[in-house]
Amino acid sequence: MSKKKIETIRKKIDKLDHQLLYLLNQRAEQVIELGMIKHKLDLKVFDPKRERDIFVRMTEKNPGPLHVDAIVRIFERIIDESRRLERIEAYEKDE
Amino acid sequence: MIVVFNENATPVQIQKVTEKLLDKGFDLHRSTGTSQVVFGVVGDTLAVDTRDFEVLEGVHEVIRISEPYKLASRSFKKEDTIVKVGKATFGGKKVGMIAGPCSIESRDQIKKIAKMIKKTGTKVLRGGAYKPRTSPYAFQGMGEEGLKYLREAGDMNDMAVVSEVMDRMDIIPALKYVDMIQVGARNMQNFALLKELGKINIPILLKRGMSATLQELLMAAEYIMAGGNHQIILCERGIRTFENYTRNTLDISAVPVLQKLTHLPVITDPSHGVGIRDKVAPMARASIAAGADGLILEVHYDPEKAFSDGAQTLYVNQYEQLVKELKIIASAVNRTL
Repeated sequence: MSKKKIETIRKKIDKLDHQLLYLLNQRAEQVIELGMIKHKLDLKVFDPKRERDIFVRMTEKNPGPLHVDAIVRIFERIIDESRRLERIEAYEKDE
Repeated sequence: MIVVFNENATPVQIQKVTEKLLDKGFDLHRSTGTSQVVFGVVGDTLAVDTRDFEVLEGVHEVIRISEPYKLASRSFKKEDTIVKVGKATFGGKKVGMIAGPCSIESRDQIKKIAKMIKKTGTKVLRGGAYKPRTSPYAFQGMGEEGLKYLREAGDMNDMAVVSEVMDRMDIIPALKYVDMIQVGARNMQNFALLKELGKINIPILLKRGMSATLQELLMAAEYIMAGGNHQIILCERGIRTFENYTRNTLDISAVPVLQKLTHLPVITDPSHGVGIRDKVAPMARASIAAGADGLILEVHYDPEKAFSDGAQTLYVNQYEQLVKELKIIASAVNRTL
């Protein structure tokens, strides 16, 4: 019985992971586009104010059960990877 | 590289460090902990001086996780490098032996010693022509003339020859005579010399400076390798310690430590390592037991009359006996000699 329950939950997690994967890549596509524009306008990849705004908004809107600290850490990783993507796709490919 | 911030680092301080790292082309993995912020820095940090970041406001510590040397490191090349010097090899299953007088004193002297050493199966002959002596009044070596005699003695006995070069001006003349160039302990960080040795294509015997850390020795090897010459044999030759019963303290632990850090062969020089004749053979035996890829030893038919380092030089019969013992020890550690 409990074994079956584990399997059901895992299936739900898998489904959510796929949604996350899709959403993260959707976000990445927007990041690349933004990177190209920033590059054309000669703006820096690193925008600390914008990053802070994201952290504030995400922690404010956090419904839980994830702790706000965990939300910050997760979004730090997403933003770190986005910055790397911007650098590689928009700036380095152009050089 | 990891950057750890102070517990009370301000967002502005963290931002400044972020900007500096990004400007240098690194990627970051930030992690905001409950009390401290930590950055994982991703990218080629070889050229970074960690102090440049340690001095920034808000930074507690900068930790290197990769070694500052690359070509010399075991992570760059997994398999052992085998350096061939004439018919001898260093770094393979076979232990390589180098022997000869401290200084080349005359044509007859080096020929006589070469002939005697050859009988033990030793394939590399050593002999100093440019001598880095502590006193400017001590015998300074025969120079190029000595190298000529060394080459003759090597050729007559089918042995390769190695000699030390102290000045980069002497490299090109030495190439006419020697099969391997030795960098002495006092020149281990003579970077101008090391850079020139990177441009040639014969093996280099690089001795550890008497106050050098193993990392500094590997950085010296990296200098030569960065120039394109990857045939390097590292040599532990004794370091300065508080103990003054022996001339130096032969750091045998350098052998297994270096062999883990680098793919380059590692040998020891027990003659300089202890500086006293009756201590040389025990240290030579210990080196082979510890896994050294070879030895360099000072041998003379009449050490009492040697021009330099006579007190640490073995008699030929002592050397013959030592080689016999070393063969047994080598087989015990799955090597041959």
